[in-house]
Amino acid sequence: MQSFETTGTQSTPTIRANWEEGTLFMEGDSYPENSYEQFRPVFDWIEAFLNTAGRPLLLDLHLLYLNTSSIKAMMDIFDRLESAHAAGQAVSVRWSYDRRNERVGELAEEFREDCSFPFAIEPSA
Amino acid sequence: MTSAFPPPSSLESRISQLLADPVYDGHPLRQALEDLWETHRDLDRRLDRIARVSDAFQSMARERELGLQERMERDLRRLEKLARISDRYQSMMRDLNVALTEASTHDSLTRLPNRRLLTDRLKAEAERADRYDRSFTVVMIDIDHFKRINDACGHDVGDSVLIELAHAMGAELRDQDCAGRWGGEEFVLLLPETPLDAAVQVVERVRDRLNRVRVPYPHPTGSVTASAGLAEHIPGTPVTATLTRADTALLTAKRNGRDRIERAGADTPADLAVPFPSEA
Repeated sequence: MQSFETTGTQSTPTIRANWEEGTLFMEGDSYPENSYEQFRPVFDWIEAFLNTAGRPLLLDLHLLYLNTSSIKAMMDIFDRLESAHAAGQAVSVRWSYDRRNERVGELAEEFREDCSFPFAIEPSA
Repeated sequence: MTSAFPPPSSLESRISQLLADPVYDGHPLRQALEDLWETHRDLDRRLDRIARVSDAFQSMARERELGLQERMERDLRRLEKLARISDRYQSMMRDLNVALTEASTHDSLTRLPNRRLLTDRLKAEAERADRYDRSFTVVMIDIDHFKRINDACGHDVGDSVLIELAHAMGAELRDQDCAGRWGGEEFVLLLPETPLDAAVQVVERVRDRLNRVRVPYPHPTGSVTASAGLAEHIPGTPVTATLTRADTALLTAKRNGRDRIERAGADTPADLAVPFPSEA
């Protein structure tokens, strides 16, 4: 599996998957017309990384607005991380949000609720 | 589980004894009893098997049902979480929308309606007035020598005086009136259902109130005065013309020495019929 990068638009996030570093970076708004199309490569990449890389995985998130299907996709991703964590793999999430928009941080907390792996929510300046 | 209907042991042992007894050897009923007895035992065994298979099916179905129920409950919890997060995102967007609308229609310093909102209100009021043949008055107010406050006390003080003036103006208006910041230290009042004479009284009250706002030292007088130009809307004319007449009256008030009001006449000088007065 390769690293990949998609440049964000007004309605889709910038996504950078770095195989060497073991990081998946997502930034921006996510209300795509076809969320399956957008998230399919992300799911596949995570799946491949967890199955073959044998190294820690970090999700570096700077997401703002998510529509309902994007929320579902993120919940699916976190579920997959949870099962990897249960199997003893090192996975973690760092969700950064703008200090001036406290509510994005509160939403990240909602996502974190059922996750037992390391999940940091950090305000950025 | 053994047999579904175990025969009474006494009957079983009695028949076993009868069949084993050599006395009945060769008796025609003995063979018939033995055959019957075999058939009965066979049926009994089959019944037993059917019961076991049926039980197995039942417990399998039950396990499946429990599994489905568990899955359904888990899906339901996920769905609830999804809906909860989605609702919160939506309310965040709605609040953001309200804030953006507020920001695009109100002056960020004084929180008064800005030029855009005032323009909308003026147009709506003109349409209403034309339709129902009512009158309304437009007032342009300018704070006299406002620059002296900025020069003497700095822009921060100038800003806070401006906020106080805006509050003072609002306090003196009636519910149906609308005050907005037109730009700089210039304000516009929209006084619905108010002919010119009644408007004069409202504006004099407003000017008096503005005059009572304290301006800190080292401002030379410690207070401000205001000039105002009033124009009653003439039904059938564009509201921009009414604004222009009010602006012209304000200029006249300034030229005549400030701290006063001037009323616009009914005619619209052709050279002043520009779409909207400049922001100066």
